[in-house]
Amino acid sequence: MIEVKAVEKKFGRKKILKGVSFTANKGEITCLIGINGVGKTTILNAIMALTPINKGQILIDGKQIDKNTFEKITFIPDAITMLPHMTIAEAMEFMNDFYTCWNQKRATELLGFFRLNPSDRIASLSKGNTAKVNLLLGLALDVDYVLMDEPFSGIDMFSREEIANVFTSHLIENRGVIITTHEIGDIEHLIDKVVLLDDGMVTKEFSAEEVRENEGKSVIDVMREVYQR
Amino acid sequence: MKNYLKLVNFELNRITKLFAVLLGITFVTQIVGVIVVSRDYLNMANEKLYEEMMSKAVFLESFGQMSFLQIVKSVWFVGPIALCIAGVAFYIFIIWYRDWVGKNTFIYRLLMLPTTRLNIFYAKITNILIMTFGLVAFQLIILPIEMLVMKGMVPNEFRTDMSVKEIVNSMPELTIIIPNSVIELILYYGAGLLVVSILFTAILMERSFRWKGIFAGLIYSALAVVVLISPLLLQEFVLNGFFYPIELLVLEIVMGLIVLAASIWMSGFLLMKKITV
Repeated sequence: MIEVKAVEKKFGRKKILKGVSFTANKGEITCLIGINGVGKTTILNAIMALTPINKGQILIDGKQIDKNTFEKITFIPDAITMLPHMTIAEAMEFMNDFYTCWNQKRATELLGFFRLNPSDRIASLSKGNTAKVNLLLGLALDVDYVLMDEPFSGIDMFSREEIANVFTSHLIENRGVIITTHEIGDIEHLIDKVVLLDDGMVTKEFSAEEVRENEGKSVIDVMREVYQR
Repeated sequence: MKNYLKLVNFELNRITKLFAVLLGITFVTQIVGVIVVSRDYLNMANEKLYEEMMSKAVFLESFGQMSFLQIVKSVWFVGPIALCIAGVAFYIFIIWYRDWVGKNTFIYRLLMLPTTRLNIFYAKITNILIMTFGLVAFQLIILPIEMLVMKGMVPNEFRTDMSVKEIVNSMPELTIIIPNSVIELILYYGAGLLVVSILFTAILMERSFRWKGIFAGLIYSALAVVVLISPLLLQEFVLNGFFYPIELLVLEIVMGLIVLAASIWMSGFLLMKKITV
């Protein structure tokens, strides 16, 4: 389980996170939702120790992040994390070199799934294909948790559909996923848990299924209620 | 260790082109320099001997024989060395900032590798060292080639042949790059390593705290220099020559090691706890 406990984060004098707390379980898709600048990416960065927090605690399976944690959690940011001059094959080789949890079989499967050409240079890829390569590099790791930052941002409808298909496939099965997205419509029916953020705080945390079944509302309905108050 | 070596290899591959360009410029410029300086000398000799009808003995007495030192002291030789030094100095900053700047988010990948983040620091500093030693080694390799070119152009009676050691010793600036003894090598390159580690720490401070980090980096660098030269300051202004030179040298080495350890510790702390992508 990923536990985010009373996390506070300031950039200069501005407090971006004001005591954010939530948990994300293995085998569930947790969606962080909020308007731009609310601190969604900062939370993911903080979980991966890519930005320091001012207060609070973040635990992954009860432990603070260290070098070994990166073999059980991966972060897929909204930009490619490989060098532009590298080919997809070279990027995969890089991952294979450093991560013992790299699953070459799954990487090859993902190449086919996304119809990517391994000899293509990253710099030459379209935005949609870049996002797919990013996903490939993250999902081919045999990790327990996957963090995704805006995987649908700025890409065309067809690429979005392909990426959304990942969420219904075995590639995500049994993993804990934390995803931030604006394009909630693409994966709304797949989300298990929703964390709504506003003004650096968690305004509502709920089970998507309970809301659907008990209140007959979609996640988007709840978002409207919260953000258009 | 394995991951450190993989990172070193990866970083080396990233500078191959720049490195090859620097080596190419050095080789071409210095060879052209040998040809130009030798030809100038020969033109002058021809002018004096055949146009002004000066005898060879008088010419040699008046203008002397040509030695490789004339080439070494020309801009053709010193220029590329200065360029290489500037290139390495520039690269000390680029090696970090290129992973952050613009659309490049490679720093995400580096920081998320399942290895101690200090390995990134070690790999980058090793890269700078390898680059420096590589350039020096290349210079040592091409020196005899350049001397051969000069020998091929200037007749025996018009030139003084010098060994590489004599050439290096005749130019104090060169002895810093190509030291005369193992102790000098450790001292000069140790000092270089120290400077790079201090700069790396200052860069990481800036990457961690941005504007405040620039000031912190400057203060840290100044503090490191003060600690480093503190034995010299004490010797000069407080103890009035109390230490023997060898004692002073040992003290300087100890201070250097303290500053190096502090830089590594501080860099590790920043990479683990304070760095921001």
